[in-house]
Amino acid sequence: MRRFLGTIGLAAVAASMLANPCLAQAKDDTLVVGAAVFTDSISPAAGGYITLSLVFQTWEPLVARDAGDKLVPALAERWETLSPTHWRFHLRRGVKWHDGTPFTAADVKFTIDYVTDPKTIYVRKGRIAGIAATEVVDENTVDIRTTAPAPLLLRGLADIAVEQKAVTERLGFKEAHRKPVGTGPWKYAEWVAGDHYDLVANPDYWGGPPAMKKLRIRTISEGATRVASLIAGETHIIEEVPVDLLPSVQRRRNLKVDSIESSVSLVLTFDTRKPPFDDVRVRRAVDHAIDKKTLLQQMLGGYGSVLDGQLVTKATFGHNPKLADRPFDPARAKALLAEAGHPKGFDTRINTLSGRYLSDVDIANAAAGMMTAAGIRTTVNVVEGGVWSQLDRNKEQGPMYQIGWFSVGDADFNTVWYTEASKRNYWTNAEFDRLWKAGRSTLDEGERLRIYNRMMEIMHEELPSIFLFGLPRISARLANVEGWQPSRDSLLRLHKVKVK
Amino acid sequence: MRYLLRRLLLVPIPLLLVVAFVFVVLRLTGDPVAIYLGLDATPEQEALLRAELHLDEPIPVQFGYFLWDLLQGDFGTSIQFKTAAMDIVFERLQATLVLLSLGLTLAIVLGVLAGIACAVWKDRLPDFAISILAVAGQSMPSFWLGILLIQFFALELGWLPTSGRGGWEHLVLPTVTLATFLVPNFVLVTRISVLETTREQFVTTARARGAGAGRALWLHVLPNAINPVVSLVGLQLGRLMGGAVVTETIFAWPGVGRLMVSAIFQRDVPIVIASVFIVAVTIVVANLLVDLLQAAIDPRIRMR
Repeated sequence: MRRFLGTIGLAAVAASMLANPCLAQAKDDTLVVGAAVFTDSISPAAGGYITLSLVFQTWEPLVARDAGDKLVPALAERWETLSPTHWRFHLRRGVKWHDGTPFTAADVKFTIDYVTDPKTIYVRKGRIAGIAATEVVDENTVDIRTTAPAPLLLRGLADIAVEQKAVTERLGFKEAHRKPVGTGPWKYAEWVAGDHYDLVANPDYWGGPPAMKKLRIRTISEGATRVASLIAGETHIIEEVPVDLLPSVQRRRNLKVDSIESSVSLVLTFDTRKPPFDDVRVRRAVDHAIDKKTLLQQMLGGYGSVLDGQLVTKATFGHNPKLADRPFDPARAKALLAEAGHPKGFDTRINTLSGRYLSDVDIANAAAGMMTAAGIRTTVNVVEGGVWSQLDRNKEQGPMYQIGWFSVGDADFNTVWYTEASKRNYWTNAEFDRLWKAGRSTLDEGERLRIYNRMMEIMHEELPSIFLFGLPRISARLANVEGWQPSRDSLLRLHKVKVK
Repeated sequence: MRYLLRRLLLVPIPLLLVVAFVFVVLRLTGDPVAIYLGLDATPEQEALLRAELHLDEPIPVQFGYFLWDLLQGDFGTSIQFKTAAMDIVFERLQATLVLLSLGLTLAIVLGVLAGIACAVWKDRLPDFAISILAVAGQSMPSFWLGILLIQFFALELGWLPTSGRGGWEHLVLPTVTLATFLVPNFVLVTRISVLETTREQFVTTARARGAGAGRALWLHVLPNAINPVVSLVGLQLGRLMGGAVVTETIFAWPGVGRLMVSAIFQRDVPIVIASVFIVAVTIVVANLLVDLLQAAIDPRIRMR
């Protein structure tokens, strides 16, 4: 009897294998995306920046960023400033929530009021901190008043999902954030934390229905498995191809690699309060000691770019075209060290996270090797995330640490980390702090550009950090996937993606 | 019965120690508020969240609150998910238990059979071949084996999916990966135990009374040789859980192992504690079952 059952079992297994010859293939009407980082939340109020990648599938902001970090109309069709502290937003007409009710100015006021309420815990509330009041002018018009001229209001609003007043009031935030009812291109279907997020197309989307009927975003944190899932056809698009696996993707004709330079600037920051890095000559010696072009080729597969001797990437507002990276010159590095009183070099250390940025540990190790060759004997210390945040807060990262600063397209966002306002700066410069404050309180774009250009000059001379790379976003897709491109801000924009 | 009672009374002590240790270490090495709110949080926001999570009290007081809630069965609310921590852990636990039980079963079956084969054909080809394979299996890191299996069975042959949770086909590769890392121990212990038991006088007596080699093995050797293997199951559970974390990561398996790791990075203390508690309970209960099973198999243990 047992043997009989065993035979039946084997036969069943064999039969099901024959019946499912392409058992691994993703279904035709469903777009499947393999995500590298998958947050444990789909709530706009919680979770790190990357949560927005899931949030903005169902919800939308007033003003959005496109894949290139440019501001584009979303729920607001157009806007104007009536005075430097008074903005008027004209809302898109005919937009419906996923439950069929019309989107109105009351929803916008409701959202902004609750986000800015001091009693609300909302992770990105700082992005619209300058808002003083929101007023409903009529059903399709909203006025926002700010406490001071706020050039960053639009960029800040791009991170705030507009929520539906009626649903949220009925269910409460907690419940409403669990099953989103938004205005976006995709409707919520199922969310399994740690596994996948299923969505269906919103046929009534104001921007036209999505090109695919269904969307599944899967979390596949291990890079090699992510690549394997694409090769096997289980996913159509994968985020973040590990650099060491790039050749195996590029080799296959049915796969395509896409990349864009992100707005994340990878830097090595000095503790300029203590010797030896309190001496700008020593900091410059390090700059000359690191061969950034070689590092870019070896550690980032040639994607992304070497920063132009300044904090921001080329595509970021505030980039100074007159500055250039200091050349790799070990002899000059040694001369500068000798001049600064370190003819025999010294011992130092770089702190880094592991896996937060593309090739982070590899880059730190290689940079340490180059510094050691120039006489600065450098070790690398990999720090766990929780401990890291404590070191950061207490300004105890040690002589050097590697970090990526995000600009989302405007220099204000990442220069803040070098000002007293951030409470996390090691280097201080009065002029720099003054300029930073000036840059965020005028609406004159020409003036703002001049301000950030000057700030870049100061940083280039003073070198509070070694400016390494504008990190790339490298994604891969099946060749029959159209309409996809990775985004500078790393959010998934999937509305127009089609599998042919 | 008294044996069972004594064993049961000892259960809460290791659980409490484990939970207290995890709580203190997590709270001392990272601030959940800073991690949750990120770099640009205002001090007011931080104070608000800190108060909501009772993190504004000294750590011993926090630990007091925590223990009090724990005694009432309340593990707290997850910082990331905003839901009762235990509910989330239970959701994921099922996925992990499926994987662990299948992996363990496969490892025991393969390991014991191979171990017996080694003992029966001692110092001959099957013994050498299996022993070499066992050493190879033991020296192969799980993450490497997992990736190799994906390469071969999912990509070259296209028989199985690379990752994720779904039908039975999604279970094959993770189960094999997990089992491979345990099989060698079962092979080696079974082999030695069978060989040693074979030398016992009662086996010689059975053979002298006319029992054939097969009959002596199945009726006399194995029932007496199996106990070390059973106790090995108990010892392996902790390692198995460690293996599950790696396996779940490679195969994107939504289990408790991955949940725990991400919760540690986020300093989501309630989730970590709830997962650690459940894992510890599983291990303690399983060990209790192992003890009871051993006592059932071998009357000498009950006598002690």
